[in-house]
Amino acid sequence: MKTSLNWLKRYVKIDCSARELADKITAAGIEVAGIEYHGNNLENIVVGKIETIEKHPDADKLLICSIIVGADTLQIVTGAQNVCVGQNVPVALVGAKLPGGLEIKPAKLRGIDSSGMLCSAAELAIDSKLLLPEEREGIFILNEQFVPGTPIVEAMGLKDTVLEFEPTPNRADCFSIVGIAREAAVACNVELNAPVCECLPQLTELSEESISVEIVDSEQCARFTAKVLRNVKVADSPEWLKQALRSAGMRPINNIVDVTNFVMLELGQPMHAYDLDKLSGAKLVVRAAVAGEKLTTLDEVERILTEDMIVIADGERAVGIAGIMGGYDSEISDSTKNIVMEAATFNAKSIRRAARALGLRSEASGRFERGIDVERIAAAQERAAQLLQEMGAVSACSGLVECYPRKSKPAIVGFSAAEVNAVLGTKISAQKMLEILNNLGIATEADGEKMVATAPSWRGDVTLMQDIAEEIGRIFGYDNIPLKMPCSEITHGGQLHLQSIADRVRSSLSACGMDETISFSFIHPDSFDKLNLPENSSLRLAIPILNPIVAELPNMRTTLVDSVLNSLKYNLAHKNDDLKIYEIGAVYLPENLPLEQLPLEKMKVCGALCGRMASVSWYSGREAIDFYSAKGVVEELLADLQILNCEFAVCTTNPLYHPGKSCAINHDGLNIGFIGELHPFVCKNYDIGVPVYIFELDLQLLAELACLNQKYFALPKYQAVKRDIALILPGEVPAMSVQQEILQESGELLTGIRLFDLYSGDRMPQGKKSLGFSLYYCADDHTLTDSEIETEIAQTVKMLAEKFAAEIRIA
Amino acid sequence: MKQQLNELRVQALEELRAAEELSVANELRVKYLGKKGELTGILRGMGKLSAEERPVVGQIVNEVRNELESAINLRIEELAALELQKKIASEKIDITLPGRRTNIGKLHPLTQTLNRIKDIFMKMGYSIAEGPEIEFDYFNFELMNLPKDHPARDMQDTFYINENIVLRTHTSPVQARVMQNNVEKGPIKIIAPGKVYRCDYDATHSPVFHQVEGLVIGEGICFADLKGTLMKLLKELFGANVRMRLRPSFFPFTEPSAEVDISCVMCDGSGCRVCKQTGWLEILGSGMVHPRVLEMSGYDPKKVSGFAFGMGIERIAMLYYGINDLRLFYENDVRFIKQF
Repeated sequence: MKTSLNWLKRYVKIDCSARELADKITAAGIEVAGIEYHGNNLENIVVGKIETIEKHPDADKLLICSIIVGADTLQIVTGAQNVCVGQNVPVALVGAKLPGGLEIKPAKLRGIDSSGMLCSAAELAIDSKLLLPEEREGIFILNEQFVPGTPIVEAMGLKDTVLEFEPTPNRADCFSIVGIAREAAVACNVELNAPVCECLPQLTELSEESISVEIVDSEQCARFTAKVLRNVKVADSPEWLKQALRSAGMRPINNIVDVTNFVMLELGQPMHAYDLDKLSGAKLVVRAAVAGEKLTTLDEVERILTEDMIVIADGERAVGIAGIMGGYDSEISDSTKNIVMEAATFNAKSIRRAARALGLRSEASGRFERGIDVERIAAAQERAAQLLQEMGAVSACSGLVECYPRKSKPAIVGFSAAEVNAVLGTKISAQKMLEILNNLGIATEADGEKMVATAPSWRGDVTLMQDIAEEIGRIFGYDNIPLKMPCSEITHGGQLHLQSIADRVRSSLSACGMDETISFSFIHPDSFDKLNLPENSSLRLAIPILNPIVAELPNMRTTLVDSVLNSLKYNLAHKNDDLKIYEIGAVYLPENLPLEQLPLEKMKVCGALCGRMASVSWYSGREAIDFYSAKGVVEELLADLQILNCEFAVCTTNPLYHPGKSCAINHDGLNIGFIGELHPFVCKNYDIGVPVYIFELDLQLLAELACLNQKYFALPKYQAVKRDIALILPGEVPAMSVQQEILQESGELLTGIRLFDLYSGDRMPQGKKSLGFSLYYCADDHTLTDSEIETEIAQTVKMLAEKFAAEIRIA
Repeated sequence: MKQQLNELRVQALEELRAAEELSVANELRVKYLGKKGELTGILRGMGKLSAEERPVVGQIVNEVRNELESAINLRIEELAALELQKKIASEKIDITLPGRRTNIGKLHPLTQTLNRIKDIFMKMGYSIAEGPEIEFDYFNFELMNLPKDHPARDMQDTFYINENIVLRTHTSPVQARVMQNNVEKGPIKIIAPGKVYRCDYDATHSPVFHQVEGLVIGEGICFADLKGTLMKLLKELFGANVRMRLRPSFFPFTEPSAEVDISCVMCDGSGCRVCKQTGWLEILGSGMVHPRVLEMSGYDPKKVSGFAFGMGIERIAMLYYGINDLRLFYENDVRFIKQF
């Protein structure tokens, strides 16, 4: 809320600088988000009265004005067309430096001397939003009451400091200048001089003679008041009022509207004025709207209302949407003679919903949503009538018409100093507490140890001992509360197994050169097509968001592959060609849609690799990433987690993967993930021009299978003997089945096996390949003799020849 | 024969002195001491000597043999050392060439920041808790003392799945879950990190971001404990010189509540562009757990109290690393990730 320091000073004496004031109030809990210093660089700009206007002899578009600025009369040439004799205008004298940087010097325009410049509102740095449309163009025409020669900052009250307060939503009272003043008074330890809201009516006629009010449902409206004002003269507001509104960022419109806005800013009570003569039935009724009921609001838009909205109706029809906007038909116009002023409070939730539904959130609706000080509604009526009568705009009728079915009861909070000190961890005396609370307007009495606080009507947020503790704490000063550490039984912290495994996976993948990425959890349904997923794929069952932030991201992801491919694509577009990236994150798998229960949030690991294993360097690095690069990463990861005996099974059915270059990773019949080349179709769909190798793993299953307390096995006491064998095999025999067979069929002397060579080039017969295995033999009780090894090898060779029709060469 | 031996000795030592190469020295060893060497040849002639002469000459032969052997060995060692030195002198590489790096991967800076926060709290005996990202409105709002139509719901632009299910707007619902799951209603000391969602997307707001929630519940927990704990956290995160400021604020789930600022990490509080000349940076929200929140999750606010706090991991990472653009975290440019 923008608050003028000049305005604030009407109610509270402020000696410190704006900055200091801001710090004090911020420390007490009402944050000052910014400070604006207005009216700078307007020196040497004064009010001038136009005495004569002549046409420039040599230029059609120029006028020569003689202008009275105090004792002097100046000749100024202007190009503006909106000036008339007798008007007051802002005159920048020679020597003035305008906010925009322009310096005024004596000039000759087409041979005529001009000593000064007439200014537009923009040249005075007045925000155009605060001006009427006609004031925005041409020279800014000033109030005709201004005395020529007066500095413009003085005449218009432009010299001001505006503090932007951001009260928290619980502090409805601070959405008013008097509310801020109260905080300022406590923070600065000075008296608050709240405005006296009292109107001595000029008319003896009672308001109730011309209007009656009724509330249909007291849940919708706790209090409704109306006051009749006659002899209305709709006119421009006096300068002080305009200034006040502009300082708060509101545009002056006319005296009636301006006073309602002034009272809203001053006291926090929104008000509305109806043209009494346009109301039928001489009554105002607060009722629920009828579904489909129509009302044209002040902005000339026809609104179709729903049953949960509250309207104000006259004897026939709705004349306003309660708390949101008045009706067009009963609007004040220049010809209005009599008005009814409304001040009320409405159900905050209804206002909130209606304002949202209609897209009409305003200063007024915001205040109703936060809550109105019910006890001060009548004061607001008095204040508005008082101000309007003082400026001669109306004659007020006596009394107030009101319906007040639901009186609010002040909250009474019992507490003790000990309780408050226990919450805060302080040793504040009961005396000090009483002082703080009473300064805040929270009437508090002590009865021995027990204290009783009565919350004032504007502090609906104070209901509990803890609220009292906060009030005391914030005025005592949070900075003055000591620092302690919780004293409790010693606890043993730690994290869940799944979290530890996630950390372990990250460190393994880092060691493998994989960079971690983090993406948004969203997905677009088009991605399912891009990922080649069949129509009936369960991954297409993605949870839609009702109000997605951008149309491209409407659903919760069911796969990480899309996220990782998007990251990959972003990098490729930025010429990062050699990529090894992964993401660990949740996918959101609903049991069915629409969602009734929370979905399964499954943690997955997904990696993508493309380009080269390492960037090209002086020694090597030209090795391209392929299926085995991805598989190697997964193997390292599984080995680190001690998940042994995984089976890499040919898998031709996963639509994301190249059918000939992918595999499923199974453990004991359980699928834990996939590795493979991204299906070339998918690659194309994502506009990726290079082969990409990906892997997906289920983190939950990794956590279940991981064995982080693998038992140690003894290192051999005797040297192992290595023998290499080379096999020529039919090309289609999987290398690992040969290895498996060797391991299975050999005795316990075979302690290790390693595939060291693969050849299927020109020197091989068609359809054949050569595999080279190193076999390691070792006994745990003696050094093996040559003959023992020969026997072993001979058996193995015989077995391989039988099983695989392998030709064997022993090295 | 004596004379013959002496000549041999003199000749051998002469040749040895002249030997400049290791191979020559090795040849001399064969020539004089080898099985078919000259000394052996002389020994063979010993048979012709008389029994008296034989031991005398034998001794001389041994003396000569020993002398030659050690002289040759010495020369071989000398020459070997010389040759190695020559070899070393000829071997020079360009040490400025880059090494063969294994190119380890990097953790995302958000992960690294979270890891630091987790470490700090685990050292203080906190456990790491988790909760679902897609959450019931009931947990996200109602149990956090934010009933439907509460104006404070405006502070959090919510993604809705349906009327009852939302994308959690903060990690606070984990508080309620942990309290409800604590059957004995015993003390609690947890932090809960994770993704959160707000319907807001511009240069300074991301629809997905990360928070860490903290919750301590027990007998006699007070606001001063909260202050002490946060000071410890902030000093560990940003260094011992960091200053902390608490401002009264409002969160529906805490009372009293406080926004926490730290002295600006860029200018140390003297005022700069990052802190908008204020010298302070908002870093987290905190407060004493609201008695309604305790009650709704089955704790008796008359017996126990607690504090809670929540912070954005992005914010902390940005301040810690001096990152000035929130979007970098989610673009996943490896040139960015590899910096950390």
